[in-house]
Amino acid sequence: MNGWPSFWRDLLEQMPLILAGLGQTLQLTVLVSMTGLLGGVGVFYLTLSRQRLVRRCTQGYISFFIGMPLIVLLFLMYYGLPQWGLRVSPFWVAVLGFTLNVAAYNAAYLTSAYNGLDQAELEAARSQGFSHRQVFGLVTLPQVLRLSVPALTNQAILNLKDSTVAFLIQYTEFFARMQELAATNFQFFKAYLLAAMVYLALVSVIVLAARAVEKRVAIPGVHR
Amino acid sequence: MTATPLIQVRDLVKEFDGQRVLAGVNLDLAEGDIKVVMGPSGCGKSTLLRCLNRLVEPTSGTIHFRGQEVTGPGVDVRALRQGIGFVFQQFALYRHLTVLGNVTLGLRKLRGLRRAEAEQKALHELDRLGMAEHRDKYPGQISGGQKQRVALARALAMDPAVVVLDEPTSALDPVLSREVAQLIRRLHDEKVTLMCVTHDLQLARSIADQVVFLDRGVVRAEDSVARLSADHPDPQVRAFFGRETGT
Repeated sequence: MNGWPSFWRDLLEQMPLILAGLGQTLQLTVLVSMTGLLGGVGVFYLTLSRQRLVRRCTQGYISFFIGMPLIVLLFLMYYGLPQWGLRVSPFWVAVLGFTLNVAAYNAAYLTSAYNGLDQAELEAARSQGFSHRQVFGLVTLPQVLRLSVPALTNQAILNLKDSTVAFLIQYTEFFARMQELAATNFQFFKAYLLAAMVYLALVSVIVLAARAVEKRVAIPGVHR
Repeated sequence: MTATPLIQVRDLVKEFDGQRVLAGVNLDLAEGDIKVVMGPSGCGKSTLLRCLNRLVEPTSGTIHFRGQEVTGPGVDVRALRQGIGFVFQQFALYRHLTVLGNVTLGLRKLRGLRRAEAEQKALHELDRLGMAEHRDKYPGQISGGQKQRVALARALAMDPAVVVLDEPTSALDPVLSREVAQLIRRLHDEKVTLMCVTHDLQLARSIADQVVFLDRGVVRAEDSVARLSADHPDPQVRAFFGRETGT
């Protein structure tokens, strides 16, 4: 394969922009993974509400955002909202859109872990005199989060991969910069191969970190 | 004996989807006493226990706890529950907490004790039940009998007015069941008020002189096991106790 020297030259030349793009990718991924987790815990809490209306609305939220393609949501907010006089920066559109979407998925993962809990433990907590919120905070959440580490990790990986769609709303993240590099010298294969390897490396870091977390939070004597 | 019993249940009814699980239960439990409730599966034993601390809301009837009616609205249900130590059939220990954590959780979060104080009290209870050396183990690392003791320590640590045991031997082998009986007798000797629902006739016989027989949601008899199995006029009662003693 030829063209390597010119590719490396262009790569080095554009490296500051590519690294800045990588920084934008990581910033978006880390931020939405955290806000999505917090949002997911909040939505999950509402699915356990004692008020039927709240439970129904929360289920509706989860169904709506799981059913809605992320790109449609981002376009709706980025291109649609200005028509109503509301203009938001690409970064904040991405953060808000991802958070709404990821919170719905995370809440669904936490709910399925909750369904596997021993309900007698929750009854025991209620019978000890703990309030609804205390049962959630002291018994439900610590167990459900532990059980959900693999699913939540997958979601973090998806967040990283899905961050590539943010360039469609003018958020210049890593993939957008790699596209620019490819367009500079028409070395599409090399540019996208490099992009793929960077994403794989980042995913590997997430997987290794998640394994360490999983090992750390495993409950002794509980085998799954 | 004091005039008012610690727990007084009158005409207690509980219906689930129109089906009467409790059909007018009357029951008294005096302070320092032990009450054993027996009956076939589905007779309403567990529902009765759950009505006492309002894990299940009764349909009608009254429950007086320390002389106060506790079934109506405006009752501090959480305070009521803290006064009733509940030991569940499958022990229901919090699996993500150590043995010590299981006992201290209520002391810290409900009683507001500091960690050191809570641990001191929890260790006292665990030691009383021979479980102090297992303080750092998790529920998944101890046996059924040990779990039972931790569940009991968790209940006792809150200084409840009464300890309620739901089928305490159903998940244990005969040797451990005998140990539980000894333990219950010891607690009774220490003036702990106890209420126990069970299928286990051996257990019933060894912890109480008299048992309450609950069937189809009503108390059908209250007498010694010997009399209930031999010459009770109600054939249902004789059948239940006869069958149980035959096995």
